[in-house]
Amino acid sequence: MTTPASVSVDPITVEVIGSSFASIAEEMGEALVKASYSTNIKERRDCSTALFDVEGQTLCQAEHIPMHLGSFIGIIPHILKRHSVAEMKPGDVFIGNDAYEGGGTHLPDIVLAEPVFHEGVMIAWAVNTAHHSDFADRGHAHIYQEGLRIPPIRLYDGGVLMKDVQELILLNCQVPRERLSDLRAQMAANRLGVERLRALCDKYGRDTVLAAGKALQDYAERKMRAGIASIPDGTYRFSDSFDNPEIDAALTFSVTITVAGDEMTLAFDSPPQMRAGFNMVYTALLSTVYYAVKTVADPTIPPNAGLARPLTVTATEGSVLNCVHPAAVNGRIAACQRVVDLIHGALAQAVPDRVIAACSGAVASATFAGEQPGSGELWVYLETIGGGSGARTNKDGLHGVHVHMTNTSNLPVEALELEYPLTLLRYELVDGSGGDGRQRGGMGLRRVYRAEAPCRLNVDNSRLTSRPWGLAGGGEGQGGSFAFSEGVVPFFKGDGALEKGQIVEIITPGAGGYGPPAERSAELRAKDRAEQRY
Amino acid sequence: MAWRIGIDSGGTFTDVCLFDDATGMVAVWKVPSTPDDPSRAIARGTQEAVERVGASPADIAYFGHGTTVGTNALIQHRGVKTGLITTEGFRDLIEIGRQKRPDLYDLQADKAPPLVTRDLRFGVPERVRYDGSVETPLDEEAVRQAARALKSEGVKAVAIGFLYGFVRPEHEEAAKHIITEEFPEAFICASHEVAPEFREYERISTTVVNAYLGPVMQGYIRRLADRLKELGLKAVPHLTQSNGGVIGFDMAARLPVRTVLSGPSTGVVAAQAIGAMIGIPSLITFDMGGTSSDVALLDDGEAKLASEANVHGYPIKAPMLDIHTVGAGGGSLAAIDSGGLLKVGPRSAGADPGPVCYGRGATEPAVTDANVVLQTLNPTHLLGGRMPIDQALSKQAIGRLADELGLDLMATAQGIISVVTANMAKAIRVISVQRGHDPRDYALVAFGGAGPLHAARLARELDMKRIVVPRNPGIGCALGLLLTDLRANFATTRLATLSEALLPDMAGIFVALQEQADHWFAEEGVASADRRLKRTADLRYHGQNYELAIDVPDGPITPATIAALAEGFAAAHKRLYGFVAEGEAVQLVTYRVEAVGLVPKAAFRPEPDAGPDASHAVIGSREVWFPEAGGFVACPIYDRDKLKSGNRFTGPAIVEQMDSTTVLLPGMTATVEPYLNLILEMP
Repeated sequence: MTTPASVSVDPITVEVIGSSFASIAEEMGEALVKASYSTNIKERRDCSTALFDVEGQTLCQAEHIPMHLGSFIGIIPHILKRHSVAEMKPGDVFIGNDAYEGGGTHLPDIVLAEPVFHEGVMIAWAVNTAHHSDFADRGHAHIYQEGLRIPPIRLYDGGVLMKDVQELILLNCQVPRERLSDLRAQMAANRLGVERLRALCDKYGRDTVLAAGKALQDYAERKMRAGIASIPDGTYRFSDSFDNPEIDAALTFSVTITVAGDEMTLAFDSPPQMRAGFNMVYTALLSTVYYAVKTVADPTIPPNAGLARPLTVTATEGSVLNCVHPAAVNGRIAACQRVVDLIHGALAQAVPDRVIAACSGAVASATFAGEQPGSGELWVYLETIGGGSGARTNKDGLHGVHVHMTNTSNLPVEALELEYPLTLLRYELVDGSGGDGRQRGGMGLRRVYRAEAPCRLNVDNSRLTSRPWGLAGGGEGQGGSFAFSEGVVPFFKGDGALEKGQIVEIITPGAGGYGPPAERSAELRAKDRAEQRY
Repeated sequence: MAWRIGIDSGGTFTDVCLFDDATGMVAVWKVPSTPDDPSRAIARGTQEAVERVGASPADIAYFGHGTTVGTNALIQHRGVKTGLITTEGFRDLIEIGRQKRPDLYDLQADKAPPLVTRDLRFGVPERVRYDGSVETPLDEEAVRQAARALKSEGVKAVAIGFLYGFVRPEHEEAAKHIITEEFPEAFICASHEVAPEFREYERISTTVVNAYLGPVMQGYIRRLADRLKELGLKAVPHLTQSNGGVIGFDMAARLPVRTVLSGPSTGVVAAQAIGAMIGIPSLITFDMGGTSSDVALLDDGEAKLASEANVHGYPIKAPMLDIHTVGAGGGSLAAIDSGGLLKVGPRSAGADPGPVCYGRGATEPAVTDANVVLQTLNPTHLLGGRMPIDQALSKQAIGRLADELGLDLMATAQGIISVVTANMAKAIRVISVQRGHDPRDYALVAFGGAGPLHAARLARELDMKRIVVPRNPGIGCALGLLLTDLRANFATTRLATLSEALLPDMAGIFVALQEQADHWFAEEGVASADRRLKRTADLRYHGQNYELAIDVPDGPITPATIAALAEGFAAAHKRLYGFVAEGEAVQLVTYRVEAVGLVPKAAFRPEPDAGPDASHAVIGSREVWFPEAGGFVACPIYDRDKLKSGNRFTGPAIVEQMDSTTVLLPGMTATVEPYLNLILEMP
């Protein structure tokens, strides 16, 4: 380990090196997407890449999926708990996914971390996470049902593949061929990160690069402080209802936010953790808070560890929003979306113009699993479906987009039908789903599948009983729902099966409106009607 | 009949480049553009330019033209009212796109508005499956009703895009036939004609953009053709496309989407030709203007083609040169953000008010102001004396930034250059290292008004050893128009595993594509001897979703073709991603044929060697700030127009010409080669 003690770097060099960090993380991300095999990564881009300093503080994250920051911020400390820096060498690659021991937030997000050495000195980590759509068709009573738990262990030792480890992992996967190929793509992405970071050190000098990394974290901290300072001091409280196919009665989550000068404290309250998949570990809560506060404080803050310094986040251990072993966590992103709603709802009392009405509040998803007709090979296909985005103070919300903690692409119809025995019958905006208001909320989506062979299906959705709220007198958006064709056996906790020819319809929530409906102009009303939006 | 003319119509100026076949003489001319109807400035520029050389429009043997009419209509949303007919249940596809939001953290960011409003998007019953089988036949009556509704709504163009239109075009063809019957005056296009490739959103979006721009481009071409005829032009006029080649006016009017990214493409063609002429074929082009810089890579003389780009929020699938644009230009503004770091761009001072030094009321310093303070740019006037400038204003503006940063004035001015250089270097890394090419193996070609000014620092940042500054860096695109060929691309998507079993299909598909190319050659009147075809195939490992374009060897399709493709793919995959997946099946996705109709081109003539002494070209001296030399250094100023073939000099030095300034860092050497291009070399 090294401390770039006495090197001081001018603000121009910091900007120049910061721009290089960003290029490296982006290039790693592009390589990962392009070389991967599974539709979830190659088309839907459900992956992220980052550089960390030796201690595990983020230097730079490529802008893919805010949720993934959660898997990142945990991994290095967990590696360091088990392995000392002194025994690390070039070509070591650590793999991990566990929410309690591996630094992950749910098991499908597999993280690969490779230490970066420059002239024999360890200087940083190249890290990426990819959502492997595997571990499908499982229970969620506790984490042991959700898939293989991997602590941070070496997948490569000094450049040599640990075949035994790889074989153990692959045997526990339903689609091992995709897993192997995606792991290769993850390796390629980290390799690039390692090479590029080394070249950067050759060019500017290792100490300058490391000092610039520290300076960039200080810079993010300053920007976050400036953003918080522009929010009026005070205590702001907000509660919201959380529902999910796994539970019969909705839960209540709440937050108390205290803004004091350039610091912010967020205290969350939620019921005790449950035998269900939506519990979240503390790092998932942290990454959600970082996302939500950043959107309000200053969306241009660079994605590194410095932005966390002015924030204090608390939640009772063993509660849904800060769960402990052995709670199941696979569907934690559903709860994360509601945490964003809480933070925005509270801050709307302080800075109403910088917050938007409630978005869909869901990551509606459909996970299909089955056997390919003919070959009998197992297949797993995960799709997450966007919804409405909240109305803004002077603009309507966006229609049919992914909101807040996720931002994956859809799988094109012409790619999906080629790979899986499914036919997509409709994919469209839902008329009338956006909340009314001076500015209207965004519209939700309808996606209708027909099975061409028997398959298992898990569906997830939210705002099934509650509604996305409006702001400043704006109306509620429509909630989410499912519908099945005749003859489908009723689903239990979102799980069920489709026979050949059976149909599932998934409707995602719209979003809340902003301002009183009476203030919407006649011209916009006429356009809404002509376009059959509302 | 001896003159060739290239006319590039830009936002501010319309550039004209003339070449005399008989003498090899090159003449350049600029007239102010007329954005309301660009054809006026084109006609005027043509007339004035030929008069200046004592010729008449009837003496023009070749007329090439580059325009941003389509690009501007798209960016400014000035296309026509357009309708869409698509598969029932999917009419919102062009609005949903890939369902991603435009910015991860900015809650106020907006998506580009759909080019067809929801009430003008009609889903009709029909469904083709992935294998080309028909599940639901086309409801012709529904198409007819939709056509009538669109007609009564007053649309001017109709796009047709069905799922799997690229596999089985019959439904799109039938729909087109019906719409033409009902609504013959509309501009109609179908997805299988515009972009016959898979991924429905990108294909249909491209078709919609084509329809949206169709009538605009048709109107423009009609007006331009009339004006050129009035002028007495006898040559057949040609228009550039995004692939760097030209096509006749008819095809340009049918497929305007292929011109949307044509703006910078002929600049790349000019660089390619200059590279061939001077024997430096591996180049990275760097075209820096007022608000942005365009960069592209030529590997051994070959420009890379890309098949898709996103233009202001609209994905476009069309053959195009792989040009990367970054918001860094002479007008890019420098500012300190809330965290105390210096940022440059993408905001720009624009043409009005321009940089602070123009004295037109701007107060935020631009990159140009930094150059004025450093005196790399002339501190009293620009554009050969036509533009007076005020250095004191630049110093005040940058001084304010310096106080905030706690740095001195000169370090801040140099800092602005360092930050903008880093931004441009990042763009070059995208097209080089990210595609598996090492920039150190390439020479940098600098053009555009600001390219030669920043090239030395950019090359140093990237460790590049050599820079080429063309004779007339300010008119690269107009020059490129004289050096390009007719070019059209044809493609078919058919997914199949790469193996010898594929040979009959492959041969058949290439024959069909070749027939399309022959048809086009005939339409453009290209003689057999001037026809060239290049075949490529897009390959990936079975299961991947991004393809790599691999050359198909000339000659008949045999087992050797398959082997060559497999080998080429493995090598390309290794270079890009660092690994080869041994034993994995390779999938062929898209077959492509590029058709080139050779056009007789301007043939430049070398100048006799006038010896190394360049002192006759020195027109003065000024102090220029070079941090590597510890501060201001007295630099000779060379007049580019006086430099002769064979002249040599060393940096620090400045070379001035009417519309560009070249900077040589201390220790660099410059050589004027026989075609009067300047070659700069690092020590």
